[in-house]
Amino acid sequence: MSVATLSSAQASSLSKDTTPTSNEAEVTKGGSAAPPAEAAPKKLSGAELKKQKQAEKQAKRAQAKSAGPNDNPKGGAAKEPQKQQKDTKQPPKEKPALPLRRRPSQATTPTIKETKKESKEPKQGKRQPGLFFGHLYTQPRQHSIVGATKDVHPAVLALGLQYSSYTICGSTARMVAMLLTFKAVIESYTTPPGNSLARHLTSHHLSPQIDYLRSCRPLSISMGNAIRWLKDIIIKIDPATPEEEAKQDLVQDIDDFIRERVTMADQLIATTGSTKIENGDVILTYASSSVVEKTILRAQKKGISFSVIVVDSKPLFEGKQLATKLAHHGVRVKYFLITGASHAIKQASKVFLGAHAMMSNGRLYSRVGTAVVSMLARAQSLPVIVLCESVKFTDRVALDSIVGNEVAPAEELLSEKERVALLPLKPHLPARLTSKLGDADDEGKPATRTSEVLKWIEGSDNLQMLQILYDVTPAEYINMVITEYGSLPPTSVPVVHRSSTDRQ
Amino acid sequence: MAQAAVTVVTPGLSSFLKSLKTTPVEPSVEHFISLLKRRQIRNSRPCAIATTALLLRVVGEFKSRDAAKLVERVRDIGRRLTSAQPREVVVGNIVRRVLGLIREVVNDNIDSDTNATNSDLVSSSQPHQDRPHLSSTISSFSPLKHAATEPTNATIHEPLSESTEFSKRPPLSTHPTSAHMGHSLFGLFLHPDTPSVSNTPTGQHSPTGKGSLTPLNLERLADISKSTTMDLKGEVMDGIRELQDELDQSDELIAANALDHIHSNEIILTHTASTSVQKFLLAAARKRKFAVVHVETHPHDHTDTYGMVLTGRKRHGEAVEDEDWKPLIAAGIEVYVIPDSHVFAIMSRVNKVILATHTVLANGGLVAAAGAAMIARAAKEHRTPVVVVSGVYKLSPVYPFDLDELIEYGDAGSVVPFEEGGFVEKVDVENPLYDYVPADLVDLYITNLGGHAPSFLYRIVADHYHADDVTL
Repeated sequence: MSVATLSSAQASSLSKDTTPTSNEAEVTKGGSAAPPAEAAPKKLSGAELKKQKQAEKQAKRAQAKSAGPNDNPKGGAAKEPQKQQKDTKQPPKEKPALPLRRRPSQATTPTIKETKKESKEPKQGKRQPGLFFGHLYTQPRQHSIVGATKDVHPAVLALGLQYSSYTICGSTARMVAMLLTFKAVIESYTTPPGNSLARHLTSHHLSPQIDYLRSCRPLSISMGNAIRWLKDIIIKIDPATPEEEAKQDLVQDIDDFIRERVTMADQLIATTGSTKIENGDVILTYASSSVVEKTILRAQKKGISFSVIVVDSKPLFEGKQLATKLAHHGVRVKYFLITGASHAIKQASKVFLGAHAMMSNGRLYSRVGTAVVSMLARAQSLPVIVLCESVKFTDRVALDSIVGNEVAPAEELLSEKERVALLPLKPHLPARLTSKLGDADDEGKPATRTSEVLKWIEGSDNLQMLQILYDVTPAEYINMVITEYGSLPPTSVPVVHRSSTDRQ
Repeated sequence: MAQAAVTVVTPGLSSFLKSLKTTPVEPSVEHFISLLKRRQIRNSRPCAIATTALLLRVVGEFKSRDAAKLVERVRDIGRRLTSAQPREVVVGNIVRRVLGLIREVVNDNIDSDTNATNSDLVSSSQPHQDRPHLSSTISSFSPLKHAATEPTNATIHEPLSESTEFSKRPPLSTHPTSAHMGHSLFGLFLHPDTPSVSNTPTGQHSPTGKGSLTPLNLERLADISKSTTMDLKGEVMDGIRELQDELDQSDELIAANALDHIHSNEIILTHTASTSVQKFLLAAARKRKFAVVHVETHPHDHTDTYGMVLTGRKRHGEAVEDEDWKPLIAAGIEVYVIPDSHVFAIMSRVNKVILATHTVLANGGLVAAAGAAMIARAAKEHRTPVVVVSGVYKLSPVYPFDLDELIEYGDAGSVVPFEEGGFVEKVDVENPLYDYVPADLVDLYITNLGGHAPSFLYRIVADHYHADDVTL
């Protein structure tokens, strides 16, 4: 997990980078909000009065917002993480500095910054985003370390950025990376005089880290489970234990947890799962799951002759990595995008799926698109097998993919290449839109022109792109869940979840 | 505009139509074949337009007044076109429509001829005229066989028999395509009831009556067209022009149904870029407010989809009439673009799915852009009605016996760009362009003739194609 720890020096250089841009943003924001407030007091009809009030309110709000980060360094920071994030959702300027897992082309377009700043202003408060997903847009994703409280450990800052840029992606990977980083956080911790480690560590030292991580990307179910477990063992530490020893114990416990619940569990699941692969099988999988990968490789090592179909979808294209790895190990791999899923499923004989979480009502919460694949498999009467460590089991239940989900920035949907393909549309755009956007210089660099495509979409009144990250697969599409405790039907998930949490 | 200049030069529908005016027929046919082969004219509507324009010219240039020769000529061109690009089923559809048109024209003329000269004969022959084809209606299982006994067919056969000598009748009264076991047996039972002596069992069973009928039929056509003084060419050309009008107006006619199907505040899911669907939704948008979820159909149609959403047309430079042609968003309809993977997640809140189609098959199934199958299946799982919007010209008399034959595979480079050489080398990348959607996943078809259940489509097939033309 060497990727997970970015040196603190690098992180601080990042913060230096970004501060000037944030100031710029504040200035523009203040400027845009002020004029209506000043211009108002001349004639005061009812409607005008209302307008004025609204404008004032907006101005106030904008001011409060822009004041946020300036106040922060002084102290009392961790109390209002929500508020800070709101105004730090500006340009992902630091993106280039990080190794991006996907679409480096996008990251290297520096001009994106300006376009966003402009486009955000008209959007503010104009409409509820995202169809019936409005409730999920509560908190914009953190793409920078601006506004993070001083309490956040540098390793966690780096980790957060890796989360928000999908460099570390997948619920197991995110959980392991978090625990490893927390090891460093715990090691750097010293209990202030007059406090006990068991009481102080969680609430004052760990929670700012967790809050920051949450602001970068909502916590995965497995991360939540791991955090709950960690808090639990911290609170149980005997106050009499000397601090150094307690910290060593904690670090040791974390290592054990990772070994027990992830490493060994994966091995067990791979062993069981690979027995389900027979000669001549065609295994279909969706996107990328580390357990599925291990299972397939285990079967390959056993000398079973089978092939694999990887179905994938935009914008993350996680399946590409999986397909590459499998092909590298000599597995015969076919690669489809989800539009061709109904053709892919005809060639398959079994479906193996990874999980983000297993819900207590037996439903599978996983990468968006999984439900489609399992539905098609069900229609073809293929067995659908979910491989899932028990850390990913949760008490929560879900009926649909709408109430609980994670939204992702919609502009991720349009890759650089797709934007270029859309450029010729420009002369055909509705006149209203083009006049609204102003006549941007036509002969700009390709980068400016492609970011312009995003402006078309943001500038259009009734048009939105929508991206969610997960969907819920009904339990009846799933034939078997393989965990480290054995193979079970999806209905038995709550039972196993209870017994596995009780044991600790 | 630089781009416009480029599009004029690239070979395609518009360049073909332009060249058609000046080039002689035979090179034009070759030109069209090469365009089809190179996929420079693709998708149903452009293919249909090009085919009708070409056939109009073929008929226009046709020298002889011999109807049989004309049928043979059109059929020959049809064979060449369909073998050039078998997956553009629409080309075959149009050729069949034109063939049917020629038969109809010949027939009408004969009808009026015979009506004028020996009307008493016709009226007296009425009862027995009905008999045999009633029996075959009952006994035939296949809709295409059925088509053989549809009124169009009856009129093409019966008047011929009236106008010619008695000796020629027996072979004629058998139906060429329905001459199979069950049918003839059924006919046996019916014979005692037939009032006419002319319809002898020997006629039905005569070996010459089987298989040899199509040429015979043509021969007859030839005889008749020579003997009468009709304007075969002119009437056929008029018919083709009507066909062109139908192509032009089909979207508007479909859109006229929109208000019957979309209520206010509905959430409608659709996919790919389709002019028919777009016009359908626009028509509803004039009166009602609803939301559209547009599935982008990556990797082959997403550019068109965005084009459709943003500007209301598929691709720059495509010839679309400009009058009040605007995107849905300009009509005040909220449009949400989602990737294909989100279909299942969204479906539980969608009220109606409207699908565009590439070809509709006679069994009620359809071939549509890839992704349609999963959308239709997800809709079925959620009990969401699936409405397919299609012009009648896309309705094909073909039955999908081999589904894989209908599916076209596209450039794998649009799935994984070839820059990723290592990946492309090791992994088999497939990019199917079309999906077959079985009839049981579709709830309703809306064509320019109105709304139909999928199970009713075979009747519309029977109305539009002549049984003799089903196999070109």
